[in-house]
Amino acid sequence: MTLLALYLLALLDGLLCGGRVSMGRCALIHKRVYYLRALVSGLLGAQIISTIALIALFAVGVLSPHRAELRADLEAAAGRMMWIFLPYAAAVLGSLALRLIPSTDLRSATSVVALGPLTAVRSPIMITGVVYGIAPSHLPETRLLGLFVLALMLSLEYFLNYFAAKRQVAEIRQLI
Amino acid sequence: MFASWNPTQPEITDLIVRHDPHTLERLPVRKQDVLDVFAEFHNRQAMRALEALSSQDGILNAQEIDRLLVTIHWEMQRLGEEFYHGPRVFAAVSAVVAAIRAQGHLGPLRVVDIGSGIGYTLRWLAARTPLASRGLELVGVDLNSALIREANRLSRAEKLPCRFVHGDAFSPDHSGQIYLSTGVIHHFRGPALVEFLSRHQRPETHAFLHFDFQPSFLAPYGSWFFHILRMRTRVARHDGVLSAVRAHAAETLVQAARSAAPEFASGMYGVKIWNTPLPRVFHTLIGVRRTLLPHLKVHFGRLASRLGELK
Repeated sequence: MTLLALYLLALLDGLLCGGRVSMGRCALIHKRVYYLRALVSGLLGAQIISTIALIALFAVGVLSPHRAELRADLEAAAGRMMWIFLPYAAAVLGSLALRLIPSTDLRSATSVVALGPLTAVRSPIMITGVVYGIAPSHLPETRLLGLFVLALMLSLEYFLNYFAAKRQVAEIRQLI
Repeated sequence: MFASWNPTQPEITDLIVRHDPHTLERLPVRKQDVLDVFAEFHNRQAMRALEALSSQDGILNAQEIDRLLVTIHWEMQRLGEEFYHGPRVFAAVSAVVAAIRAQGHLGPLRVVDIGSGIGYTLRWLAARTPLASRGLELVGVDLNSALIREANRLSRAEKLPCRFVHGDAFSPDHSGQIYLSTGVIHHFRGPALVEFLSRHQRPETHAFLHFDFQPSFLAPYGSWFFHILRMRTRVARHDGVLSAVRAHAAETLVQAARSAAPEFASGMYGVKIWNTPLPRVFHTLIGVRRTLLPHLKVHFGRLASRLGELK
């Protein structure tokens, strides 16, 4: 259950990363389709890293001599991570929900005082969450898996941004 | 203070593109000349950004500069989107238009966006509001031909009722009944600000609205944080923060407007958030023909509290 919740949080993170890297790279006014594509690509990116993480998890599970202990240790680590990730996700979703209120000042304010700072702390939150989760673990496999998943999560936005930037450069080169 | 926050220096984008003021022809820019300007201010951040730009025989590559400017303006549009600039401009412009109509002017009205860049404000107004269908002609004017080409491309792509022209916004061909601008007015310093505002004094002009950053103690820090997070090019990160530092205080703008354009009643609009001491990111210098004053507050409706004293 905890692993499923982490998976869903990873998808949400991918979705938002996809949206974020697409912003400022399309100057049309009507951008619903553009943003939808960006969100889907973020979601797909998150799905890919989740699949890689799952394969790594199974591989470690199969190779581990103490499977039951590993499973309990992993679940405990994931449970601890949730203490960091869930409040962060709630803060992000809460800020986005505030933007449903039709006030230009309030919407702008969420961008300046909430979504901006929350974006800024994304990487530190991920590092804190994973370290907090794996630090008390007994097994080195749990720690290694935690660090591997952390590297995957941190690389997601980098790669999404890399591809979005390449597309943008190509598009502007075609124009000018 | 950081060297890159010195308000007496120009922005990078002020220097990397030059046009002949009469023919509007693009002029070559020597990279070293621009570097020398920022060396004088010990502004290493600007110099690093400039050093990354390619040049041939010491002249900045015009095509690369145009690509950079379009990239920056796409990013800046995001800033406008995040701050809901379109709805803010619409609220103010529609109140001004209603006041002009109430005064009896029923003919066509042209809204001219000065320094329109890639035309986000006008394209937003054309796409999201009924202004064009109410007989308003939306025209953006900029001295940069690459940005104007991009504005027209974007406008055509979405079949929007607005157009963009390369030229001088105050020339007889392009002059309008309502002038507006966004993030432009702080580029005019000292006597140039007074001269810019005096050019509004034309018989056909009814009003002007100039939106720009509002200076405050926190503005440069907020701007720095925002640009680090949101902007991707070095030049945008540098100039965005410097713009917030260079922004004119309300008193400077109002004083300049009242002395340069005495035919208009001028003042500030949208300075504080919900009448609290909290400043808005942007404030607006507004000027209207004095005959419009009795109608203006009525047509601003519940937003009338955002209007400062107009005189």
